[in-house]
Amino acid sequence: MHIAVLAKVVPDYEVPSMDFELSNGRAHERFSRMMGLYDENAIETGIQLKDKTGSSLTLISYGLDSDVQFLRKGVAMGADKLVLVKGTSDDAAVIAQNIKQAVEHLGDVDLILAGQQSADMDRGVVPGILAQMLGAAFVPQVGYIESAADQWKVSQMTATGRRELEFNGLGVLSITSIPENVPRIPAVRAIFGAKKKPVVKLDGIDQGKMALAEISVEIPKIESVCEFIDAEDPNEAVKTLLSRLTEERYI
Amino acid sequence: MKTLIIENIDLKKIGELMTVSRLFCDTPDIIALGDGEIPGSFGRAWQSAATVSANLVVPITQLIQQEGYEVILMSVSTLGTGLAGPLSAALSAPVITEVTAIHPDMVVDRPVYGGKAIIKYKIESTPSLLTIRRKYFEPEALAGTTPSVPLETGDEKVTLVSEKIEQTEGIPLEDAAVIVSGGRGMGDPENFALLQEMADLLNGAVGASRGAVDEGWASPTRQIGQTGKIVAPDVYFAVGISGASQHLAGIANSKCVVGINKDEEANIFNRARFGIVSDYKKIVPLLTQAIREDR
Amino acid sequence: MARIPYWNISYGVIIDLLAIPVFLIFVYGLYLQWQLIKKGQLRVIPSITKVFQGIGTFRPGAFFMRGILNPKIYRKPASGVAHGCVFWGMALLFVGTNLVILNILFGLPVFTGAFNRWFMSFTLDLAGLLVLGGIVFFLLRRQFMPDRLKIPEARTGFVLVSSLLGVLIITGFVIEGARLCANTPEAGAFVGNFLAASVISQTSALQIHTMTWWVHGLLALFFVAYIPFSPLVHIILAPVNSGFADPSPGVKMGVMDFSAFDDEDAEELPALGADKLADFTRKRFLDFASCLWCGRCQEACPAHNTQKPLSPKGVIVTLAQKLAAGEMEDSVMETLSMEAIFNCTTCAACMEVCPVSINQPKTIMRFRQNLVMEQGQMPELMGKAITSLEQRSHPFFGTGSGAAEWRKDLEVPKFEAGKTEYLLWIGCSITYEQRAWTIGRAMVNILKSAHVSFGILEDSRCTGDPAKQMGNEFLFAEIAQQNIDDFSALGIQKIITMCPHCYNSFTRHYPKMGGQYEVIPHASFIRTLVDDKKLQLDRNAQTITYHDPCYLGRRNGVYDDPRNVIASVGNLVEMPRNKNESFCCGGGGGNYWAEETGTRINQARAGEALGTDADAIAVACPFCLLMLTDGVKKYTEEIKAFDIAEIVEKCLPDMAEG
Ligand SMILES: Cc1cc2nc3c(=O)[nH]c(=O)nc-3n(C[C@H](O)[C@H](O)[C@H](O)COP(=O)(O)OP(=O)(O)OC[C@H]3O[C@@H](n4cnc5c(N)ncnc54)[C@H](O)[C@@H]3O)c2cc1C
Repeated sequence: MHIAVLAKVVPDYEVPSMDFELSNGRAHERFSRMMGLYDENAIETGIQLKDKTGSSLTLISYGLDSDVQFLRKGVAMGADKLVLVKGTSDDAAVIAQNIKQAVEHLGDVDLILAGQQSADMDRGVVPGILAQMLGAAFVPQVGYIESAADQWKVSQMTATGRRELEFNGLGVLSITSIPENVPRIPAVRAIFGAKKKPVVKLDGIDQGKMALAEISVEIPKIESVCEFIDAEDPNEAVKTLLSRLTEERYI
Repeated sequence: MKTLIIENIDLKKIGELMTVSRLFCDTPDIIALGDGEIPGSFGRAWQSAATVSANLVVPITQLIQQEGYEVILMSVSTLGTGLAGPLSAALSAPVITEVTAIHPDMVVDRPVYGGKAIIKYKIESTPSLLTIRRKYFEPEALAGTTPSVPLETGDEKVTLVSEKIEQTEGIPLEDAAVIVSGGRGMGDPENFALLQEMADLLNGAVGASRGAVDEGWASPTRQIGQTGKIVAPDVYFAVGISGASQHLAGIANSKCVVGINKDEEANIFNRARFGIVSDYKKIVPLLTQAIREDR
Repeated sequence: MARIPYWNISYGVIIDLLAIPVFLIFVYGLYLQWQLIKKGQLRVIPSITKVFQGIGTFRPGAFFMRGILNPKIYRKPASGVAHGCVFWGMALLFVGTNLVILNILFGLPVFTGAFNRWFMSFTLDLAGLLVLGGIVFFLLRRQFMPDRLKIPEARTGFVLVSSLLGVLIITGFVIEGARLCANTPEAGAFVGNFLAASVISQTSALQIHTMTWWVHGLLALFFVAYIPFSPLVHIILAPVNSGFADPSPGVKMGVMDFSAFDDEDAEELPALGADKLADFTRKRFLDFASCLWCGRCQEACPAHNTQKPLSPKGVIVTLAQKLAAGEMEDSVMETLSMEAIFNCTTCAACMEVCPVSINQPKTIMRFRQNLVMEQGQMPELMGKAITSLEQRSHPFFGTGSGAAEWRKDLEVPKFEAGKTEYLLWIGCSITYEQRAWTIGRAMVNILKSAHVSFGILEDSRCTGDPAKQMGNEFLFAEIAQQNIDDFSALGIQKIITMCPHCYNSFTRHYPKMGGQYEVIPHASFIRTLVDDKKLQLDRNAQTITYHDPCYLGRRNGVYDDPRNVIASVGNLVEMPRNKNESFCCGGGGGNYWAEETGTRINQARAGEALGTDADAIAVACPFCLLMLTDGVKKYTEEIKAFDIAEIVEKCLPDMAEG
């Protein structure tokens, strides 16, 4: 069996709001780059599945040459190889198209896992587009996966509970975080081992863009100064607070 | 514009989408999923008991093409997320997820970088697909019901074996939109009940600082901060919490922090958007009452 | 009348002859110990002495000072004095016995005149009494054991050797008494004379003398032969272990070289850290064999003191048992829990009090290294901190601070190659922990006030110390190498640190990787500024207590500089546990990123500090500051803990920002 996991290298997703800065409409390049957190959950899930089923596991990413150093962590966690499709598009359809190319390059992929959403664009839409392009079933928000007699049994973690689903054939699953897929920290030996694992680089294609024009990217103004509400009359104070909270759409 | 809503039968969700649809058309059509009557009045309505998105892609695609819908609205949910990508590919349609605002001329906002920035897109073709983030649009009060015709779903790609609705004890801190947290300033464990009452009214969860956990007033699973949970609610009420950096580490991505502390010098006010300098015992009960009246 | 050798004894020479095989057995016993210790790994660094290659460098000075004179043993006065009595008493008796032999062989005139009276009679009688007194104490203590001896387990075998020694001393006295009873009392031999006069009857004296003489002789031989097979072997192992001990204070983990892992043809790669007994070096084996399970380490241990699973004694005892049983290959982690291994704050209090120079933290850290580097296992929060350190070059995951926020609205010069003299190293905590920002700001103001040529780096950085403390030597090596390369490019030679962890990394580890700098902790730097009159400080009447950070004090011996600085601005009051006996704040060893079980260490220490009633608690470490700031909240709403730089800044005459 062959499992593919999609991963994307993104700018530090934990930069505190106060410190966040843009350049050219994207997160400033001074922020460190790293794999998205959900991607790491997906890799962890993939590795557990690989270990259980004796499969092979390939990491697929669309991005820059320089992303390889960060993707190596995923290899060190337990992937067997890495396929990087080179490109810089932020368009979900283009990204999916390029990943499809990698999947086809691999030829024998049985299951594709992806993080629930990338940690930069926060879209969660690429896996679904990819699934449709591949004619595969798409199941979002998956927590647990089991393989049973050429069937996949998966648990979908919904807002209200949990659904058990089954399907045959190729599937694309977007993975959510659960206590069991906290990403492992690779051992030193594995980190060195990862440097020796194969990296395949494919040239990307930049067509099939969605009909969307990006107009602007802006940082919402956050009031960093505290607005003190006079507590002389507590009754008045709570009313003011509530109305201010509602005005600013917090509740 | 010809607008279609795709949603599970759920008053709030359909209500919100109805509000959004008014920006595009007078009366939208709907594909309603699940059992029960369709609330609100729609132009046309289709219905299916099937709720697994993978099995709905083909029939919905066909319907959209047949009827020539221009805008398709879904909410950010298991269903919406499951449909948005596949429909976009099947229809070669632009898709924007997690929409938080809609401007004239098909310009929409959505957050990126964990909400630290907002990106604006202009949609340049039809049909287009939008998933709407919850709680950003006031749900319209839905009057009446709309009779529906069944949506033919054909072959199942994915089988739903079982579904378990989990009545979780309260909302997990990590997912809560409102958190009411108490610190050492609470003075005694009983007063945490005040916070619980307020949180319940706001559909939120109760958190605690390590100060309060240390005193044994709150369970360690409630602790927020560097060595506790990292949360990102819309509103975070910090009651009797001084705002030590290790505590703030857990709320760095909260949208709005409200500090209630008797000490005006407390560090929490450096992070707070709103502050009330007072004994919380005077404020919290009144605040709870005001919220109750507000409902 | 002078004493006659073998008086009243026939064939006494049998004992002398038996001494030869006994000596051989003794040597053989030691040889067996060596065989055991030899099973340990060779040290990577080749040692100078050939015989002990693989244990390390032998330092006769330490052997004598730490091993024989052993001032540490007296930190517990009662058992210290008991040890002193027995050890030095036996030493005197040993000298006495040898003099007798010299008398027999060469007729050395020891039994005459004042020497006989004052040494051979009086001193040796006194020595015997001291030994006996010590032994009575030891036997009683074995009956009524304090917790440190009992928990988790007491070493056995002491009662037998102690009793044996006691019987030897008593029989020795009886022989003397019987001899004097049969002859005449001897000046100076007060014990013998007493026994002769009031205990032993004239009629049976000769018979008693012969019998006891033989019993004493044979027992003595048995005793000597038995030493290497009993816990008493510590009289040899303890000084030897001290002789081989690392002479620098605190734990020194060394730096690891990972190049072999990159080498294509490298054969089997060594295990990182230790998972089983066989992974330890000979020096550690010697530690395990030397340990008497006395538990002083565990009494000093902040983790053990606050009901956490870790006991340094427990760790060493477990390994000592494995060593005795020859269980080289069993995983030890089954006995020791991962939690315990990560409880260690690396404060080095245990090794500081260890009377036999065992390096407990190093053993604990070796387990930690294995868990982290070989198995990727660590407590969740530490994992987050390590991941953050790897991804964003600082361990403060979830921080709300941006990299430059600490110096907002404060003008801070950048280090310029060839122009600036000192690099003011900021480090991670001052950058990313709001409470620590002011340390950096205060220090900048102090340096400006003293017109020091200094600058900071463009970006904020970490030395890698948190990774090292959590056992991730690999990450440490990567970060350190990067810093060293960048420092070279900037021509940095002198560094001022505000964090003792950074200081420790720069001085202990960076030199081994090619980074040689003059590094000065801020407390010492401020002291020099004060001494050189470059800083004018307004002294006031405030009382200040000082908490010694483990990485400044115990690990690097900086005790006086911060105290001098405090004395120049206020009145120093000491906590009960201070200087090398200081009690950790709880934040070391990566435990800043941990949720504790049991009592919080920082609360325990904060309580002690508040107990001095001082107006302020001074620290010289940002981590200690953060821990104690939190700890103090348990007791008061007042803010009491400050960094020394903050305290000094407040006493600058013109405290004008920027
Ligand atoms: C390594 C480390 C990790 C830590 N991790 C965390 C963590 O994950 N989460 C966390 O929360 N803390 C953490 N801390 C602890 C942190 O430093 C603080 O000590 C803790 O957050 C303080 O809790 P507190 O604000 O409830 O208490 P305090 O700091 O004692 O504050 C109590 C506040 O209540 C106010 N108050 C008192 N009475 C009233 C009243 N009647 N009405 C209104 N206000 C009142 C006071 O003015 C004061 O500001 C950590 C500390 C360390 C050293």
